Amino acid sequence: MKEIKDIILAAEEALKQGRQSALATVVYLDGSSYRRPGARMLVTEEGRMTGAISGGCLEGDALQKALLVINQQRAKLVTYDTSDEEDITMGVQLGCNGIIQVLIEPVHPENENNPIELLKKINSKRQQVVLITLFDAANKNNAHPGTLLLLEEGGNVSGEIEDDILKKALLEDAGDAMRKQQSLFKKYKTGIQSMEAFIEFIPPTVSLVIVGAGNDALPMMNIAEILGWDCTVVDGRASHANSDRFVTACKVLVSRPEKVLEQIYIDEQTVFLLMTHNYNYDLAMLRLLVQTNAIYIGVLGPKVKLDRLLEEIQSDGSMLNAEQLGRIYGPVGLDIGAETAGEIAISVIAEIKTVLAQRSGQSLRNKAEMIHGREELLMEEKRLH
Amino acid sequence: MMKLPVYLDYNATTPCDPQVLEAMLPWFTEKFGNAASRSHLFGWEAAEAVNIGREQIASLIGASPKEIIFTSGATESDNLAIKGVFEMYAAKGNHIITVQTEHKAVLDSCDHIEKMGGQVTYLSVDKNGLINTEELEAAITGKTILITVMYANNETGLIQPIPEIARIAKKHGIIFFTDATQALGKIPVNVLEDGMDLMAMSAHKIYGPKGVGALYVRRKDPRVRLTAQMNGGNHEAGFRSGTLNVPGIIGFGKACELASRLQPAESDFISTLRNHLEDSLLSLPGSIRNGPENGRLPQVSNLQFNNCLSSDLMISLNKYIAIASGSACSSASPEPSHVLIAMGLSEKEAHHSLRFSLGRFTTKEELDFAIPKIRQEVERLNRVYS
Repeated sequence: MKEIKDIILAAEEALKQGRQSALATVVYLDGSSYRRPGARMLVTEEGRMTGAISGGCLEGDALQKALLVINQQRAKLVTYDTSDEEDITMGVQLGCNGIIQVLIEPVHPENENNPIELLKKINSKRQQVVLITLFDAANKNNAHPGTLLLLEEGGNVSGEIEDDILKKALLEDAGDAMRKQQSLFKKYKTGIQSMEAFIEFIPPTVSLVIVGAGNDALPMMNIAEILGWDCTVVDGRASHANSDRFVTACKVLVSRPEKVLEQIYIDEQTVFLLMTHNYNYDLAMLRLLVQTNAIYIGVLGPKVKLDRLLEEIQSDGSMLNAEQLGRIYGPVGLDIGAETAGEIAISVIAEIKTVLAQRSGQSLRNKAEMIHGREELLMEEKRLH
Repeated sequence: MMKLPVYLDYNATTPCDPQVLEAMLPWFTEKFGNAASRSHLFGWEAAEAVNIGREQIASLIGASPKEIIFTSGATESDNLAIKGVFEMYAAKGNHIITVQTEHKAVLDSCDHIEKMGGQVTYLSVDKNGLINTEELEAAITGKTILITVMYANNETGLIQPIPEIARIAKKHGIIFFTDATQALGKIPVNVLEDGMDLMAMSAHKIYGPKGVGALYVRRKDPRVRLTAQMNGGNHEAGFRSGTLNVPGIIGFGKACELASRLQPAESDFISTLRNHLEDSLLSLPGSIRNGPENGRLPQVSNLQFNNCLSSDLMISLNKYIAIASGSACSSASPEPSHVLIAMGLSEKEAHHSLRFSLGRFTTKEELDFAIPKIRQEVERLNRVYS
């Protein structure tokens, strides 16, 4: 999401200056690579790059191809085979061992549903979306329709495609991706023609709500910002929660605990951190949060503090169930030996990332299988009639 | 209107297909960039077009685009393959196995190798022009680094047992090079199924332009290395320096794309015409076919007329029919065809042989015109010399 935001900004800047641009999207991957499908990079006519499609090894060639796309005003599908150790175009031995398909498409500002406009729609509110990019892998030199359909959470569809049968199939599969909360790869065949689709599920940005505006919240906010997360800082004290101290935080709320949740929209990507260092404020917040669907509620402090909080919440006999308890993380963070506020921030943010990605947080070297599962990238064939 | 003379020498060269020419034209004037120019649009466009050409050629033969090295033609590809292997694998050995009926580009390269101190075995062929694979295997020594056998003969169209030769080469860890100039686009040629490590190709035999060819160089199982024979800029992954012939490569690519689409039906059509021509001429007394009826390319017919010197026939028919007595490269010399001699023909028989080769633009009408002309002339010469 951070990348998408940066790209939108860069595209708007280019448009303001009357410069043309092209959008490069990793649309498929066979094997492994630094960036996965969904990685994007905007290239402007003067060669400015925003975002990334690799760890830096492919950008040079992609820049040249993107400039060619801008000049020809025609989309291109470029294949990079990083499994070939002696490929001279790469220049170096990457050892990534993957075949990466990158679609580079011109941005036509006059088209109300150009890729940038679709990205803007994604970003206009907190929502899950499915974005569809169509390309023809079998005939790389044919026309590629590109990024052209967006399905928003409420069912709103933006973009057009002439082929009604294909559109129907795409939207069905987009609905499927939305339900599964997972990107899909489809190959649609009609007669001898075929067309591949990258049906990308894009969750909303992580929304991190830091309850407690002490000095230890600052590194937390800084890291969240690097990650492009939305960040809200909440405190009862205006002396602490103010925009002088939290310069870039999206939102600073001064509120009594019982009013906080009225001002925050909680979805599956919204996480909370209780770190007011004020027992009663934390207690009041925790009491409210366990009743919501917040997927992660981190509680700063030792285990005895959390035990006391839980005991008090349940003292009226309303017992918390296992599901509710499972969403409470305290003491907060991964066990990395964190001491300082910065270290604790790394530990906590890493734990949040782990929970959202449903991973274990172990060292990757201890993982027997590949970093990313191959089944995520299965290209499923469908015949259209 | 039929144009005269009727062209029946497609094995020497073919006309550019109009679609090939059309694809090439913009690349002479408006899009004139050097494919090696990395810093501007002209170069990028040319590089992209060259890559499309590379993909089209690779796709026709089942190779990966990176395995295609552009050259000036099959003769250069033959030189690069043979001399390039000889130099690169000098530490492993210096022995090359080839065949007496190979094209002069291969035989002369082998002659050069002998002058450089290498050893060359020239395998003999049977009356059909076929090599004996047992003989081939027996010729292998610990010093053998290359086997070079053409895919199909340019004079008779005979197809050698390429997959079997590839298996023998692989078994002994020897590189196998084949000159597929005549076979490409006429019969299915596939580097994965056939198993060759190096393969020479030419554009102008498949309705592309003259002056451009390619060498397929296997990159996997085994990865073949070559010493470049043309130095100066490391073009073509260092295998062949020199500014790329961009229009030529684009034409070659287009020709391959057309061949992929047209080949099976076209070959059926051409072999039907060829058989009609051959049957009509073989019914003449004293005429026989050189080489077998089956196991050859669909477009060629090599015939012997026992009372007619082929040079007389070619000259007396020149107004009506363009034909040749052997490979174009050797028809400048009065030597009898080395291919026919190797097949056991006498010098006289070789001098009495003609090669008819048909192609994409050959029509039934042309043959209906040509056949009686040839028959008349053969019959006239028969009367003169009998």
